[in-house]
Parts: sequence; structure tokens; C-alpha cells
Amino acid sequence: MATTTRKCWLTFEGGAQNQPRLWEMSRKFPTVMFDIRQASVQEDIGIMAVLFEGEEDEVQAALDNLVSNGVKVDPVEGGSLVAP
Amino acid sequence: MSYVKCLKAKESGTEYPIEPRTICDNDFSPVEVQYDYDAMRGKVTRESIEAGPRSLWRYKDLLPIEGEPRAGFNSGWTPLIKADRLAKKLGVDELYIKDDSANYPSYSYKDRVVSVAITKAAEFGFDTVGCASTGNLAHSVAAHAATAGLKSYVMVPHDLEEGKIVGSRVFGPTLVKIKGNYDDVNRLCAQIADRYGWAIVNVNLRPYYTEGAKTHGFEIAEQLGWRLPAHTVLPVAGGTILPKVWKAYQEFIKLGLVPDNKPAMYGAQAAGCNPIAKAVAEGSELFHPQKPDTIAKSIAIGNPADGYYVIQHLKESGGFAESATDPEILAAVRLLAETEGIFTEPAGGTTLACAIKLIESGRIPRDEPICVCITGNGLKTIECMAGQFEEVEPIEAKIAAFDTLVAGQSQPVVVG
Repeated sequence: MATTTRKCWLTFEGGAQNQPRLWEMSRKFPTVMFDIRQASVQEDIGIMAVLFEGEEDEVQAALDNLVSNGVKVDPVEGGSLVAP
Repeated sequence: MSYVKCLKAKESGTEYPIEPRTICDNDFSPVEVQYDYDAMRGKVTRESIEAGPRSLWRYKDLLPIEGEPRAGFNSGWTPLIKADRLAKKLGVDELYIKDDSANYPSYSYKDRVVSVAITKAAEFGFDTVGCASTGNLAHSVAAHAATAGLKSYVMVPHDLEEGKIVGSRVFGPTLVKIKGNYDDVNRLCAQIADRYGWAIVNVNLRPYYTEGAKTHGFEIAEQLGWRLPAHTVLPVAGGTILPKVWKAYQEFIKLGLVPDNKPAMYGAQAAGCNPIAKAVAEGSELFHPQKPDTIAKSIAIGNPADGYYVIQHLKESGGFAESATDPEILAAVRLLAETEGIFTEPAGGTTLACAIKLIESGRIPRDEPICVCITGNGLKTIECMAGQFEEVEPIEAKIAAFDTLVAGQSQPVVVG
């Protein structure tokens, strides 16, 4: 299985900012390494720049897990963070 | 001679050489071009700039290129109009319109950023450029690539209307229809940049591309007689132009080309996509991404890439952000056309509508110089004006019929 690295912006809002979503993800996907590069947290919203590394399927499943738990995941390059 | 020093990460300050790069490897923050301002002093002067071409390249010393321009020879140097009739309507003393609806060749401010990006692409040795867009950016990339003799790829969602595609296709790019929405297309573009080694102007050339937006601010200052407006109102989409016009003002102040009058910056958004205006109103440094729903599609970006920095600059300058509803936007499009003869797209209507609200709320004082920045042409989005005008019944081709028509008009024809 190929390994991959994904640079992501995680947005925590609507209650997700008060939950340990990254910790929960790491318990479920212990082989996925995550490295927080930047973070800014307020009462109603939190934003993190996170590097994920691991086997491609596992990383994707870990990101899907975050999304299903209310975390918005955007790629740092491409996606909605690049102005059209 | 170039005054460019390096690329620098906005957050960590990590420095990188001049290369195709979007973000810092360490903190993922955007990287920005740095210049040697000490070396510029005494060399980059009002006189040296005034001796330059009547295009954005008169500011070449403050742009990140090494050699001669490869595109945009007639881009920029758009009119700065003293809008006296509009000023009278709004009850303000001194109002200016910076009119990029007249920008050449594709009639939006994007001709500024793309001129720099295409020149930089040629300097880096790219033979192919591209972008993901359905509007102004696609038109501009296709047009400037044609000028520079580069191959271009325009990536669009598969269900894009034919009318919007024509404005790009006429310049001869390779059009790629992609099954998916904007996000899917943009994401694919980032992968294409990596895999094919192409220059995607707003991805791997983004630090250079965005620098082109400074020329909008340089021109305002020079055309105002080497001074800055007290208040500048700009649209906010991805967040490129506002921080760069702010940077332009600060660079001119730093070089002693204009007095420091502490210019205030104001952001304008549509109410149907106003993450920045909402965050500013709430006093927040972060913004909640939104799903856009507005007629101002060219600025409908719910998750602005540089939104955080827009908020910083608004705060730092003592400005504010405002948003306008679709009816307010369309009314402002008509007001600008009827008073100053400028037909702008809804993004321009948004900027004027927000300026009006900022004036009426007292955020912008009526007795200080104000500049409203118009970034695109209304002829590209005429469908937005559908339903704005009453049907006109034809009359007989007889002078008596015309006499009857004129006699029956209860309102004066001239607006003023």
C-alpha cells in the first residue's frame, strides 16, 4: 500500500470546537501520523493546519472520520481555499 | 535590475528562493514576495515611475519580475474618475471610482494579476499555463497566454453555460470540462500543477500573481496626484486585492512617494456570501466558511484563501466590512451607470452598495476623500440585469406618435 501525505485545513465549528475530535481520530486510526502546524481557536470556531501521513486508505478513512464528526476538511492547496 | 529578495512565509517568516511555490512547508501559510526597499530609495521615484509606460508595467520595479514583461503591455492604467454626480447623490464631498471595468484586454482587474503571472511563468520556463475558473480569470489567462505565445488550459465544471465559455475559448486555449463542481476543478488543478509541471496561475504562481493586484493601488495613488484616499472600498472574494492594495499603499509610504495619511480599507461582500463581513461585525479574527448564494458570482467565495489577512488589514487600517443584498447590488449597478456612465458587473455593484451603507452608517465620513474600486465589466454579466427594466412597447414610425410618447412621460429622462 502506498503512503501519502495530505496537508489540510481543519475547521471546527457548530460544537466540534469543544470536542476532542483529533484525539478520537487518532485512537481509531493509530497508524496515521498527524502534525499540527498552525492553530487558531476562538469560542465558536477553531482552525488548524495539519499534516497527515500514512497509508493512503488509512489517511482517507481518518479524514472521513473527522468529516463525519462535524469537522470541515479542506486541502491546503486546491479546493475551496484557492480563489477561482 | 530587480529589487526582489525572496519569498517569505506570512506566519513563520521562513524564507524561500524565488521559485514556483504557494505555501510554506512548515506552517502552510501563504508565501509572499519580499523586496529590498533600501536599494529602491532614491532610484524608484515619482519621476522614474512617471517616465514609464502607460500600463501596469510603469510599476515594474515593485513587481516580482526579473526581465522584460511578456504580457499585459496594455493592461492597467485604467481611469480614476472623479465621480461628482455620484458624490452629489450620496452627499459626500470627494468621491473617486477606480474603473477596472475598462481594463485591457479582458475587462476586469484580473488582467493585472495575470499579466504578472504569465510573465513570471515565461521567466520560469513554463510553456503551459492554466487556471480553474468560470469567469474573469479564465478570460484573462486565455487572452494573456495568447499574447505571450504560451499554451493554455482552462479548466471548467462540465455544466458551465456556453456563454461563459466563449469569453475564454475565443483566445484559443484548450478547454477541459471536468465532471464536478468548482472545488473539484480547483483541487484537480493543484494536482495538475504538480504532475505536469504547468503554471497554474492562482496555485503555484500565486505569490507572483497576487503581486499584480498592487498596481490597482499604485495607480490610485499616482492618479490622485501622489496621495492616498482616506477611505478605499474594495470587494472581497478570495481576499487577494484588498491586502495587496494595502501593501501598495504601504510601499509608496515606505518609499516616501506619498504622505502617510493613515488610509482606511473597507471590504465589500454580497449578503449571500459574507464570511468576512460577518466576522468583522462580530469582532472575530476567524471566519466561518459559507455556501454562496448571490448574483455576485465573481466574488462568491465562501472560504476565502486570504480571508484571515483581509480581516487583519481591515482591523489594522481602522476600516470595516459591509455586505449588500442582491437587490441593493443591482440598484447600485444602475446608480453607477446612470450617474457616471460605468456599467459594472454585480461585484462592482456590491462594492458601491457597501460603500453607500458605510457612508450612511457614518463609518465613512462624508467630508473625506473616498475611492470605490470597480473590478469588472457589466457587459459580461448582462443576464443579471434581466427583469430590471420595463418592457418597451414599439411606436409607429411617425413624429406624432413620438410626440404623444414624450408628452405622456411623467418623469424627466435625465437622471441627476
